[in-house]
Amino acid sequence: MKKAVLLIAILMLTGITVHAQEKLTGLEIMKKVYNRPTGNDMEANLTMILISSSGNERVREIKQYIKDSGDVEKKIMFFIKPADVRNTSFMNWSYDDPKKDDDQWIYLPALKKIKRISSDSKGDYFMGSDFTYDDLGDRKPEEDTHKILREEKLNGEDCYVIESIPKDEDYMYSKTVTWIIKDKWIGLKKEFYDEDGEYLKILNIKDYKKIKDYWIITQTEMDNVQKNHKTVMKLSNIKIDTGIPDSKFTERMMKRGLK
Amino acid sequence: MKALKLFLLTVIFSFVFVTALTAQDLSLTGYARNYTGLLLNGNNDFSIIQNTFNLNIEQSKDFVAYKVNPYMYQYADRELEIGLREVYLDVYFNSVDIRIGKQQIIWGKADGVFITDIVSPKDLREFLLPDFDEIRMGINAVKLDYYINNNTFELVWIPTFTPTRYPGGNSIWQIQPEFPIEPVFDYSKQKVEQSFKNSEIFGKFSMLTSLIDLEIMGAYAWDDDPTMHVYKQIDPVTHTLTGLKVMPEHHRLTIGGGSFSTTLGPFVFRGEGAYYSGKGFNTTDPAIKDGVVEKDYLHYLLGTDFTVWDIHTSLQFIQERILDYNNFIYNDEVQNMGTFLAAADYLNETLHLKFFMYYDFENNASLIRPTITYDVADGFTALLGANIFTGNEGMFGRFNENDMIYTKIKYSF
Repeated sequence: MKKAVLLIAILMLTGITVHAQEKLTGLEIMKKVYNRPTGNDMEANLTMILISSSGNERVREIKQYIKDSGDVEKKIMFFIKPADVRNTSFMNWSYDDPKKDDDQWIYLPALKKIKRISSDSKGDYFMGSDFTYDDLGDRKPEEDTHKILREEKLNGEDCYVIESIPKDEDYMYSKTVTWIIKDKWIGLKKEFYDEDGEYLKILNIKDYKKIKDYWIITQTEMDNVQKNHKTVMKLSNIKIDTGIPDSKFTERMMKRGLK
Repeated sequence: MKALKLFLLTVIFSFVFVTALTAQDLSLTGYARNYTGLLLNGNNDFSIIQNTFNLNIEQSKDFVAYKVNPYMYQYADRELEIGLREVYLDVYFNSVDIRIGKQQIIWGKADGVFITDIVSPKDLREFLLPDFDEIRMGINAVKLDYYINNNTFELVWIPTFTPTRYPGGNSIWQIQPEFPIEPVFDYSKQKVEQSFKNSEIFGKFSMLTSLIDLEIMGAYAWDDDPTMHVYKQIDPVTHTLTGLKVMPEHHRLTIGGGSFSTTLGPFVFRGEGAYYSGKGFNTTDPAIKDGVVEKDYLHYLLGTDFTVWDIHTSLQFIQERILDYNNFIYNDEVQNMGTFLAAADYLNETLHLKFFMYYDFENNASLIRPTITYDVADGFTALLGANIFTGNEGMFGRFNENDMIYTKIKYSF
């Protein structure tokens, strides 16, 4: 649960914008995806549907707020479903300084206590889903070596196909391959290969839309082909640049919840 | 004071009732649970068969919110218990929150250990085995929080003292005090009379920053646990002990303390400590007629949390030290304890394995608590666990006949 947090929104907001006529390197393309403007703040409802191999569904619902204040991005998430985690909240402060680790806290209503937790395990899975924290957008482009494999159409969109190989040989993926829409800079599809080079899972973008001049991915699906387990992730009630105050990202709000 | 309490409760209930009737966003959550424990003493005795219903009624509108938390415990061998764990009203201002009513207040950074976490008294009828939200009792209090950025000043006033709740006479968790002869108990001084002078006050400053989380607290409160004043009757001729009168009495304590939590790479480091002034200890010093001496006392903890091979691990070292000690004092000068936690999730976080242990270094005794929990469906969990006591003495060893396995089937809504 402590991981139940953050980066979903980043994934949802991740896109790219590059001028088609420029000759870009793989790293430049991935940086444009990572750095695509997403507004100064955002609030949204996040729904995750976890579907097991037997077809059983489990649903997680979260209300989240994100604010980018320049050198620090703050996020707070309030868990709504399932019932046994209701009123749990999670807060993350992420820094532009690559040397500085994220700060993370979780409020557990049964303990009525805020606990500081380590942000070191970004390869961990988020709330039992098929997304790791890195999958959700927290992985910096400089951590991988990128190569443009080809350019091709996917779902009617002109895409770059980028192969990314981690510089850290012990990372949980041996490589990923991403299809990126050229004029929107959205990763439309991504294949993940495990440490042994075996095909592990595939991410498909099911829906995206433009809100206040920002391309927002509103529905994704991650399918773990090895475990035959799938996660559908949906963003709704999205509000961008509404002027969320700094006081939203405090101990006071973690304890108060959505009241 | 009783009239004031009744008045406040009437106001709160009236407000809740009227608001609930007109509310559209009333939140009803809670759980139903069966908890069945079997002693491993060879007789197949049930240590507990308990059905619980817990309801949280909550609503908020603009700057006002309230919560009512009724609960019900139905036992196979005890009377039905119905109560209100929390009933409070919140009022929110720009930088101030006020909470009035019966509430649980939890402080500190320690897990499973009570050092600065002394505002809400404990319900120890089932020792330390219930979930922590069931161990902490709600207390009638006024709590005021003043916020500046990520700093909080908290002030708690408790008009009426509530002591620790202990097991009844037939409970397997009752601790029998050891006396050389059968004592006579006199409870005339145990009750703390309700008056302004006898109220309790707690204050805390807390800050949450990128570098460190910090809490500094102080309190002028009653010791939740009574001190046993022991009066001896000695035969003047034979100088032998002919009678014992035991008078439990709560002592006033002045307490100062604090806690911190910070991260260093993959590690979280935590610490918590408190200095208790005026705590009563039993002594065998013949010059002291009631067998009690007041000493200052230090209680602190250092701990770390980390993850190794996807197993979330936590270690804590706890020390209690009586200052200005002399050898007449019944308790040891220093008591050392440790806790160890290892927890891991499997099957897309539907299967949870947990191992928790208290270890009493002085008595070479422990409480070991392994559990397996499976999420059958959203909100529906099944838990199989065990409580194993090792050793023969100390707070854990004395219960070495109470090893048990148990199940908890819980549906949350």
